[in-house]
Amino acid sequence: MTNFNWLLDGSIVGVYLVATMAAGLMVRKYVGKVEHFLVAGREMDVYLGIASLAATEFGIVTCMYTAQNGYEKGFAGATPGILMAVAMLVVGLTGFVIKPLRDAGVMTIPELFEKKFGPRIRWASGVVIVLGGLLNMGVFLRTGGEFLVLISGLDVRYLEIMMTALLVGVAVYTILGGMLSVLVTDYMQFIVMSAGLIVVTILILMNVGWETMVTTVETNYGAGGFNPFINPTMGWEYVLFNLLLNTAAVLTWQTTIARVLAAKDTNTGRKVYTRTSFFFVCRFLIPGIWGIAALASLGPVANTLEAMPRYLSTAVPPGLMGLLIAAMLAADMSTDSSYMLTWGSVIYNDIMAPFRKTRWSEKKGLFWNRSIIAFIGVFLLLYGLWYPLKGDLWTYLGVTGTIYLASMSVLLIACCYWRRANSWGAGAAIFISAAIPITYLVSEQVPATADLAKAVGPYYSGIATYLLSGAAMVVGSLLKPQSSGDLRKETA
Amino acid sequence: MAKHWFWWFMTMACVVWYSTVTVYVAIKGGADIKHMLARLDATKAREEREERER
Repeated sequence: MTNFNWLLDGSIVGVYLVATMAAGLMVRKYVGKVEHFLVAGREMDVYLGIASLAATEFGIVTCMYTAQNGYEKGFAGATPGILMAVAMLVVGLTGFVIKPLRDAGVMTIPELFEKKFGPRIRWASGVVIVLGGLLNMGVFLRTGGEFLVLISGLDVRYLEIMMTALLVGVAVYTILGGMLSVLVTDYMQFIVMSAGLIVVTILILMNVGWETMVTTVETNYGAGGFNPFINPTMGWEYVLFNLLLNTAAVLTWQTTIARVLAAKDTNTGRKVYTRTSFFFVCRFLIPGIWGIAALASLGPVANTLEAMPRYLSTAVPPGLMGLLIAAMLAADMSTDSSYMLTWGSVIYNDIMAPFRKTRWSEKKGLFWNRSIIAFIGVFLLLYGLWYPLKGDLWTYLGVTGTIYLASMSVLLIACCYWRRANSWGAGAAIFISAAIPITYLVSEQVPATADLAKAVGPYYSGIATYLLSGAAMVVGSLLKPQSSGDLRKETA
Repeated sequence: MAKHWFWWFMTMACVVWYSTVTVYVAIKGGADIKHMLARLDATKAREEREERER
């Protein structure tokens, strides 16, 4: 039984959906070139960039797992958000990597790699990025649908239909308007999403109370609920792994970096980063508060991922429930549209680069970009929604994320700042970044090695991936014989 | 509150910062969209003019 009222809350949700679709479709007339479609003609300014970045990086899945972190780890569960905020602030202030990346005028990260490492590494990087990104995104639809079903009390039989309709709506304006539609709808979705998050958080703080939440965390987790270093499920290895992971994400997660690449100039891109950085604390702490409130109200539950939506379904009154659901739909739609466009841009710009020997017309380029996004939409429906995933969700996200992030961050840093970096090092780094996480994942499943995998744990495995990927870049690059051209470049 | 002042401060900072930024970005972001579309229009008009002159 939930507080969702079909007349009142359904109307609020309906108005939001119609307004978003209309806005997304209206800007399609401005799309005349591939550059408009992929990077909004590089005309994005600071505040639009902030709204778009924040909306893109907060989806229902984010809300679910950050709330789960709050439920399972207390306030210490917000640590990854703090680390990401610090990383983004430092990168924005210093321009580390993002300055040379934006100055290069590229549309995707692999495009930059070709200049230094050659077309094969560009292609391999594109494949790694797209595989990691799409597999990561594959879980969004079902998890988002499950949240909406729990919170609204909708019959679970309608989950697939509902999420299919939502994805089709998002795909329509993304295919027609590209990044321009994404930016405009992200802006609207940011406002709706933020309003919902803030109002519900204030409601929870008033109804549950700060003292009750603190007492709940103290009772369940002791001092570890406030300090990640002494939390038995976290520790320094968790903090270090998340520091590496979030720094790599800030530098290379294509959906994040796309805002820098779409900015009207490098300074705007840097400002988007510095001024959005604190949002990533909110991204973890606000749903984390909801998770702690769920723990205080519901106590121990069988499925901790469902605790927060179950709690909210009866804690949020009608009217406000409509705003909350609209907020979560906004969060999900902004993420879906941005992610579909981003992975589509890498497929077009990098994986298909070898097939574009002669320059394609803008019309042909737009046609292929739109077709790719349509194919991605079909993949997401088939893989993520209609074909149920097996296994542990968070291990899955961690593995797909690390394969991508470890290699791409190493390649990008080396590409920007080490003259001696070359294709051998890049290839070695890509290989190591895939081999270690996949080996860990397989080891977990094989009985003979399961105990060893458990002893090593995901955090040490993840840290090793980053460090060994960096080492592979250095060793591989040093092993490659230098040509006379390379020597001239180094001494210049 | 005094015992876990860090998390109390972070929670309050989140609510206050996020509320403020939402309003500020809503106003400024709307202006950004208007200017962005105007610049795209101007660029398109210029490119069409250059195409006709060729």
